[in-house]
Amino acid sequence: MISQQGQLELFRLIGSSLNQDVTCYAFGGNAMMFYGYKGETKDVDLLFEDEENRREFIRVIKLLGYEESSPFKIYIEEKLREKHRPLMFKRQDDNGRFDLFVKKIFRTLLSPRMQEDVYAEHEFNEKNKLKVKVLRKEQLVILKSVTDRQNDFDDIKTIIKQDKHFDWQYLIDEVFWQHRHGDTWVLLDVEEMLKELKKYVLVPEKFVRQLYGMNRDKLRLAPKKKAKN
Amino acid sequence: MNQKTYEMLYALEGLQTVETVMNKLNLTRQSAINLLSQLKRQQHVTVSGQGKIKRIYRITIRKQLPRDLGMFDILNKYNPDFQINPWFDHQVHGKYGPEEAIIDAIQTKKFRLILATLRLFNYIKDWPSLYQSAKKEDCWQQVGALYDVARLFFKVRKMPEKYRKVRFKKIKYLIEKYRTKEIMFRPIHQKWKVPIPFREGDLTKITGMW
Repeated sequence: MISQQGQLELFRLIGSSLNQDVTCYAFGGNAMMFYGYKGETKDVDLLFEDEENRREFIRVIKLLGYEESSPFKIYIEEKLREKHRPLMFKRQDDNGRFDLFVKKIFRTLLSPRMQEDVYAEHEFNEKNKLKVKVLRKEQLVILKSVTDRQNDFDDIKTIIKQDKHFDWQYLIDEVFWQHRHGDTWVLLDVEEMLKELKKYVLVPEKFVRQLYGMNRDKLRLAPKKKAKN
Repeated sequence: MNQKTYEMLYALEGLQTVETVMNKLNLTRQSAINLLSQLKRQQHVTVSGQGKIKRIYRITIRKQLPRDLGMFDILNKYNPDFQINPWFDHQVHGKYGPEEAIIDAIQTKKFRLILATLRLFNYIKDWPSLYQSAKKEDCWQQVGALYDVARLFFKVRKMPEKYRKVRFKKIKYLIEKYRTKEIMFRPIHQKWKVPIPFREGDLTKITGMW
């Protein structure tokens, strides 16, 4: 487990060994710590804009003793067949784990809205700059539905319960955008998450209907397979 | 967080005074003060106002973590009459002052942020550092032009002559497609090859002469 203070110190340490400026997006439990939703997390989830940034980041964490670990047992098998699965790094003393994605989180793109509407930007100014952008809470909920690991659903519940001003329309719009841009999983993942979430918190019905409507349209528009003669 | 604390925080979230907390939870004054003090220790409350000024408590369900300074904090600190409402939380963990804030503000290409940098030139202590950072981000032309605009309106610290002698050929914009419209800024435009997007009225806002 890693605490918020531990995370800041770790990023500072990484920033001091970088040979170039690196920008990344935080979206997992570590992003929730920047908000103050929770005090500690198991994994540090980061998304990079390009492979070069991720390569430099990996070079530095390897210097700090992190070694590549297997993503099996953490993500479901179906997701691990994806091209954009994460590279994972762990230390022997189990001081947190890095899940490093580039460009996409499985099929979910780094959208223009994600890049513009960040919640926070943390810069670690050493010799070179490490810039960690924290995504909006609505984006966190979508991405947690997509990654679908153990505890991800509990994190979603925490976000929704602790935030009176959760923008459901923003979430739905982003899901539609992702779907239009080729993420065929996002609708089903979010729908499944909402179905479960309704057991614990009040989800406004009109947003659920919007999502179901989109899903129905998708099924209607899907080309029918021709029966083999 | 247990359910009882959660429900209490849910009811109190927002700005409160001791009296509003007393009314909402039906508590005595001392109990309300004790409760606020306890929540403050748990990082759910921050306080503004002291002495004769009425204390206002900002209460949130999630914890309010201690912050490091960022671009908005620096710009607001040196522009008491021209405050900017941050639209995201910018924090820098490490050395950060007016030199770095000027570069960050220029890169946002936002009108109000660039306007607010003018006040910062009087607090530049490390010109070599500002020059190096601007060169790295390829925006020394813009910094130089803003410095000359600031000199027209405020008392500013002197920029070392060696940084002013550079000649430029290519035009660079502070904000894309905004051109110089005020005659008084034309010499600055000519020298630094940077169109100045401000009008005279904009400058009166930050000089505090309404």
